[in-house]
Amino acid sequence: MNEAFYITAGELAERGFEYLPAELDSSKHMIYSSPATLDFNSPGAKGFGVKRAGLVIPGSVMLLIAPGCCGRNTALLSNLGYDERFFYLMLDDTDIVTGRYVSKIPQACEELLAELDYTPSVIMLCCTCVDALLGTDMERVCRACFEKTGVRAAPAYMYALTREKRLPPMGLVRKSIYSLLEPQKRVSNECNILGFFSSLEDNNEIYPILKAAGIKKIHEIGRCKTFEDYKQLSRANFSIVLNSEARAAAQDMEERLGIPFIELTRMYRLDKIHNQYRLMGDALGTRLDDSEYLEKTKALVEDFRARHGELSLAVGESLDADSFELSLALCEYGFKVRDIFGTVGERNFVFIKKLAAVSPETRIYSNLSPTMMNFTPDPEIDAVIGADACYYYKNIPGIEFNSEAQPFGYRGVELLFAGLDKALAGEGEQRS
Amino acid sequence: MSPLAPDDSGACSVLYEMGGVTVICDAGGCAGNVCGFDEPRWFEKRSALFSAGLRDMDAILGRDDLLVKKLALICEQVDTQFTAIVGTPVPAVIATDLKALERMSEKKTGLPCIALNTDGTRLYDYGEQMAYYRIFERFATERLTVKKGKLGVIGATPLNTGETDSKMIKLALKNVGFDDVVCFGMDSGLEEVGRASECEKILVIAPSGIKAARLLQERFGTPFEVGYPSMGTRLLPSDEAVAATHGLKGKRVLIVHQQFLANALRKKYERAAGCEVTVASFFMMHDEYMRDGDKRLKEEEDLISLAKSGEYDIIAADPRFERMLKGTDVKLFPLIHFAVGGMLNKEK
Repeated sequence: MNEAFYITAGELAERGFEYLPAELDSSKHMIYSSPATLDFNSPGAKGFGVKRAGLVIPGSVMLLIAPGCCGRNTALLSNLGYDERFFYLMLDDTDIVTGRYVSKIPQACEELLAELDYTPSVIMLCCTCVDALLGTDMERVCRACFEKTGVRAAPAYMYALTREKRLPPMGLVRKSIYSLLEPQKRVSNECNILGFFSSLEDNNEIYPILKAAGIKKIHEIGRCKTFEDYKQLSRANFSIVLNSEARAAAQDMEERLGIPFIELTRMYRLDKIHNQYRLMGDALGTRLDDSEYLEKTKALVEDFRARHGELSLAVGESLDADSFELSLALCEYGFKVRDIFGTVGERNFVFIKKLAAVSPETRIYSNLSPTMMNFTPDPEIDAVIGADACYYYKNIPGIEFNSEAQPFGYRGVELLFAGLDKALAGEGEQRS
Repeated sequence: MSPLAPDDSGACSVLYEMGGVTVICDAGGCAGNVCGFDEPRWFEKRSALFSAGLRDMDAILGRDDLLVKKLALICEQVDTQFTAIVGTPVPAVIATDLKALERMSEKKTGLPCIALNTDGTRLYDYGEQMAYYRIFERFATERLTVKKGKLGVIGATPLNTGETDSKMIKLALKNVGFDDVVCFGMDSGLEEVGRASECEKILVIAPSGIKAARLLQERFGTPFEVGYPSMGTRLLPSDEAVAATHGLKGKRVLIVHQQFLANALRKKYERAAGCEVTVASFFMMHDEYMRDGDKRLKEEEDLISLAKSGEYDIIAADPRFERMLKGTDVKLFPLIHFAVGGMLNKEK
């Protein structure tokens, strides 16, 4: 069998994005559902896939309209307490060929409501590749469900077939979950944070920084306990988008609700974080003072570097970061990143070019390449970051860095190094 | 409740350790469900199981040639003896000619290919049955000298047994005098399938294996019997353990599992605890192994009705069914079935 394919950052940067090797282009080979990256292939296997994301609206329930195979892994969500919120309209072989089930969906909604002793805020209609191929007009189906039941319905498109489209399923579901918001009088000192289905980690600096700038209330869907909390999101004066997959949702909110947005990127290079706060301040017409956090985090990184030296690291992609940006940051902090498991895209190629300048020998692997079946760990690695990297390097100190509470900004950097510190001290950081 | 294991998972389960390249003809989600949920060996034993990674335009334009090209590429990267293509809802919707795909693949790779017409709407045993039959039909062709005492087991998949290896099954069979046991597709690969005619007897431990066993009987005259090995305290406890089970003696019991395990457990409950037992299953039940009164279940409502009927004191079934017993006096005896709840015996 062939060895796991890799290309160095130097070689890749030299080839350019237009000339990616076939092994890094998922459309040119079969996809290896590596145990390391199941969440790529299986929306819902880990974290927030379409199914769980669709249920982020408080008081919502979901009707999964699918053949049995698409809903099988919802059993995993049972352990998270979602059992009572999932309902199924199972399709048989005639259904998927004829599409006859579409007319049964409003009836199924009515039946599920009869099972509940409360009225849900919304019925999320989760549809699959079958509807993608049949071209089902889900907006129309949602209207029919509302007419039949009086309860609002919204689509959750679990279209794995369209994963590489301009608006992939995780972008569409973000749009859907904010689609129930209705225009209301906006409040000048309130804002939204969009991008994640859970909230930012509680101690994130963005909260006090915005507070100091006069923002009194910050809404996040992950902190909404009730549908009333959720409805307040449309009071915001502006939104801060922290994940580009929420851009379509923010644009929709801008059009429908008149809420403008600013887009930031999750980064791990301190100068870039600082720059983003400066730009956000400019956009808001104020100066955001992040100096305290910048200095503190800078000292923290230097201290870690002094204590652990020039560690050799492997960085995965199942983590709360862009693997290439994080690797670039780590190299700039004085560490060696020997392996990256990542998906190269147009957007992150810019980081690869920069990485090539500081660490041209870094090996870049694609988790999706079938050759990864034969990956051999590098004995020189000291620590690993990312759930997938933890899988490949089973006996090396590592952190998954893939939590529900989302890291961002300086606090993200702090959490990263605190986690690594613990792992290197053998204090049992959670592993894959 | 969450759907039961589908046919594509069953097919993959049989093929998992056979040593071939298995391609799930999907966009990624089905492969994720198989690898991330229905195939617990994914985290223990490597297998060349891949997703075709179909995208909308591949499906709309019917790019079978691209799929075959990718398959040929992978055959250059991975040592393999055959290829298999497992169907999902996507090829079902666009009416992919899997037979043609099989022929195209064989021509391009030079390796035998079996394409399985699963579509994700049926249950796992349907996919298992198809995979067992096709693999024996294609590769168990040579008549070899029968080895006295060699027992072949068909039906040993995690979905049927809750086991990820054959240790417990072999140990149980050793205890009843079989030292030379092969569990086809579990700790054994295509080579053993090719030597199937060496078996003196076949033991079929799940209904999905019957069709393949009949094929071997017709082809080589190998006799088969159905049953389920008694694996100590696991799914099928010893008679002593049954007799000692608190609250079981003389009760009216409904066992819900795959038919052959349920039948074996019924015998024990009757023999060791004097129970009155009925077997029911959401999965395939062969008429010749059913007793009068045994039930085929189709919908959740069927089981709820039985629970409410007042005819049973105990229902022995996967704990995932517990919600269906709400509001009844029926007691649940947990009986792990991976194809239902996704739990292994060792997770009990």
